[in-house]
Formats: sequence, structure tokens, C-alpha cells
Amino acid sequence: MQEILIVEDDEKLRNELEIFLSKNGYNAKSLKNFENTKEDILKQKADLVLLDINLPNIDGEYILKEIRKVSEVPIIIITSRDNEIDELLSINYGADHYITKPFNIQILLAKIATLLKRANNAGISQEKIDCKDFVLNMSKSTLEKDDKEIELTKNEFRILKQLVQNRGKIVSREEIMESLWDNESFIDDNTLTVNITRLRNKMEELGLKELIETKRGQGYILKRRGE
Amino acid sequence: MLIFAVITIEVLLMIYPISWVIRTYIPVVVIGSYFISIIIEYIQKKKFYNNLLDTINELEEKYLINELIKEPSFSEGKILKKTLNEIDKSMLENVNKYKHFQEEYKEYIELWIHEIKIPIAASKMVIENNKNQVTKSIDEELDKVENYIEQALYYARSNTLEKDYYIRKCKIKDFVNESVKRNKNAFIQERIKVNIHDVEREVSTDSKWIIFILNQIIQNSIKYMKKGENKEIEIYSEQGKEKVILYIKDNGVGIKEEEISRVFEKGFTGTNGRISNKKSTGIGLYLCKKLCDKLGISIKLDSEENEGTIVRIIFPRSSYINFE
Repeated sequence: MQEILIVEDDEKLRNELEIFLSKNGYNAKSLKNFENTKEDILKQKADLVLLDINLPNIDGEYILKEIRKVSEVPIIIITSRDNEIDELLSINYGADHYITKPFNIQILLAKIATLLKRANNAGISQEKIDCKDFVLNMSKSTLEKDDKEIELTKNEFRILKQLVQNRGKIVSREEIMESLWDNESFIDDNTLTVNITRLRNKMEELGLKELIETKRGQGYILKRRGE
Repeated sequence: MLIFAVITIEVLLMIYPISWVIRTYIPVVVIGSYFISIIIEYIQKKKFYNNLLDTINELEEKYLINELIKEPSFSEGKILKKTLNEIDKSMLENVNKYKHFQEEYKEYIELWIHEIKIPIAASKMVIENNKNQVTKSIDEELDKVENYIEQALYYARSNTLEKDYYIRKCKIKDFVNESVKRNKNAFIQERIKVNIHDVEREVSTDSKWIIFILNQIIQNSIKYMKKGENKEIEIYSEQGKEKVILYIKDNGVGIKEEEISRVFEKGFTGTNGRISNKKSTGIGLYLCKKLCDKLGISIKLDSEENEGTIVRIIFPRSSYINFE
């Protein structure tokens, strides 16, 4: 499990972030005191650091620069300072991303995932998700079953991925739309229906019939085979 | 005083036996030179005061008058100049005091805004970790709070004299997408279609400011949509002569013709804004205009009642020209 270190002085925000990241499959840890922040961060050897730039009594930018001297660990700056200059400065000092509070949590997740993938990715990484009945190929954006393979559009792929991640649970149309919107695909209700239909047809071509079930008034559910 | 002087001279002269010619000559000279000096002084003063009045009439910043008038040669003028000097000095002190107050106040607002964003962020995380109908409803309210806070921040920023923004090249697509994303909940809930096209252009501006501006416009469009089906917002850009124009077009309720010219006024809410459940503050568009002025871009609004509204943001050539 990949480890994320949270460096944030607001206790509640820190705890909730920890809970949230743990729920989403990361090993989240956080610093509780900020006396030797730089050393503590380096000691943890986390895979990624979420760094609040306004820590008590310390200059976050200084810490950022110091870490960059010795480590290439991905760093996402979280801050409540919302202006262009601070953002540019942080990026110049070596931050990988800059997110302002209050943040869109899905976007934070997406950024974490991208950064971790890039960091781990010297070719090997989780490029395929094995879903028992079929395999999602992340890099090619395809759906594979046995030796057959079918190409999915960006939207179809995202929808299926979201259903896979919530397999056995109902995912509402709104949730699907929200996640598509977060990825800048601003579709409307009708387009979603069309996308789902096409996705179903493509799955059927591979013999994956009736795997996506409509729950009237609630959303969709990706069933397990044999259910 | 003049008569008194002449009589004195005459009395003194009576002591000596001098011819009447001289006796008349002296007072005439005295009286004559007196009048000449009065005339010269009159001309000097007239010149000075006329110059003063002309200058102050022409001057836009009238408080600068003291810098522009020459040191007069006569004493009342000197007193006036000195008085003006003192007034200037004390006024400047006073103005500086208020500038300082305002600067301090703005700093406090900025600080306060950074502070309040932390509990909001924490609340949003709590909501994320405890998703249900109740927290979702709270989340929607928090979005409103966030928006009001943002307005306050930009209101404070719009009132400062110093440059508070940073201009760099931005892709129109990036900031349009960002502002649409910020409103995704409203768009999805209200079933409003978003149609974005022709946004692959670049302009030089401050992306944070422009996102705020777009956000205000989009929120207005969402707020004043018609009921029913086919609600749509269209966002696109066009290359004009010496400018790039960004359009934000909706098919909402529109604005009454007689009210269009006033939409950028501070506190103007119009008929739409007074409909009970809309609660317009009349600050959003006012701020947009003010921020656009600061950024050197223009903002125009056209609308037809019951048809919809188009807002145009016009980036002049200077804001997208390549200086390389």
C-alpha cells in the first residue's frame, strides 16, 4: 500500500484527510508536531507528501526547498492562499501540485493518483485492473476478455472504472456525472444514457451480458457474475 | 494715508522758501509714483490670481495646485502659498492615515479569509467521510458560503491601489473548464446543458481573477434560468480584429431592456434579483466590471427578456500579443 504523509496543522482537517485517504486505499499518516518538520518528513520516506504551506512558526516554502535538495518525493501543496504568485512560487520551489482549501476532494484524489503513477512508473505499474470476468486495461483504455479486446471511449472507460471500483454497490447517475465533470467531460443526462447504452452493447459483444443493472430511480450497479 | 503724507510734505516745505513749481512738483511726483506702484502691483496680482484660477480650472487633481503655481512676489501671495503648503501637508498626512487603515483592513480580510477556509475545508472533509442526504444538503450550503467568501476577498482586492494580480499566458479552455467544474453540482442538479466550443485560444491575464469573474457570470446564468427543459449555457471564443472575445450565452429569463445599462452598478438588483427566492446582492457583476477594468479587459452584456443573456469578455490585443 502506498504511503501518504499529511503535513497539516489543523487537527480536524488532518484527521479527516487521514480517514478519507485510508478509505481510498492509501496508507495515510500524519505529522502531529512541527518542531523538526523537515527531518520528520524525510524520515517517513512516504510515497507522497501533502504539505500545508502555512505551518505554525515555519516557512513552508523553506521546508519545500530543503526537501527538494535531498529528495524527489512527490509533493502536493495544500494552502488557503489563493493567488497566482504564491502558486507559481511553490511550483518553482519544486512542488508538483498546488491545491487551495477548501479543495475538491475528487480532484485531490485524481492528482494523488497521477503523481503516484508517474513516480512509480518506470514502466511497471498497475496498468490493468483484473475484474475477474474481464480486465480493464488502463493504458490502452480497453476492455479485455479472454483474448478479445474492445476499445472504449474516454467516458465509457471512466464510467466502467467507477462501477468497478464500487462493484456490488449502487452508483447514482449523479455520482457518475460528477466524476465525469471532474474530468472535464461536461455531459448532460441524455448523453449519460447514451454512454451507458453503448457501454452495455460493447460489453455484450464480449459476452458480458447484463452485467450493468439499472436500479430505477437510484442508479446503476455492476453485478458479480452469477448473482 | 496718501493725503496725510502730501500735507506733511507741504507743511515741511513751507518752512523753506522754495518756488511754487517745486512745491507742486514734489507732491505730484509722490502721488504719481504712488499710483504707478499701485498699478504695477495690481497687474502682478491680477496675473498671479488669474493664473491661479485658470490652473485650478484646468487641473483634474486640484489638490496639486500648490505644485503648479510660482512663488509670488507680493506678501499676500506668499501667505497664500504658505497656507496652501500647510493644508497640503496636513491633508496628505490624513490621506496616508486612511490609506494605511485601508491597507490594514484589506490585510485583515485576506488573513481572515485564509483562516475561515480551513474550517470550511475541514467541514467538507467531514461531509466527504459521512456522505448522506443531510450532509449533502449541508455541503450545498457550504458552497454558498464559499462563494460569499470569495466575493469578499475579491471585493477587498478590487479596492486596493497597488497591483494585486499576476498576468501570464493562459489557455481559455483551462479557465473556462475550471469555472464550469466549480459549478458542477448546480449544473447537474438543475439539469443545465453546458456547451463549450472554440476555446483553444490563449490570452494573457490572471487566471485566478478571470476564474472568479467567469464564476460570477455562470452563477448568474444558473440562477436566472427559465423553468422547464432545454436549459443551456454556451461558452465559446472568437478571434476578432485586434481582440479575442469570450462569450457566455444562456437561454434564461433575460433582463428587461431598461435595466441592462445598470447591471454593472453596485447594489443594482433589477426585477429578476428581487424575485423572492433569488436574493441577489447586486455585487457580483459590479465586481466583475471593476476587476475587468483593473485587468484591462472589457465586459459587455446584452440581453433580451425571455430569450436569454450574452456576456462578452473582450481581451484586447495587448492581452494576448506575443512579446517574444
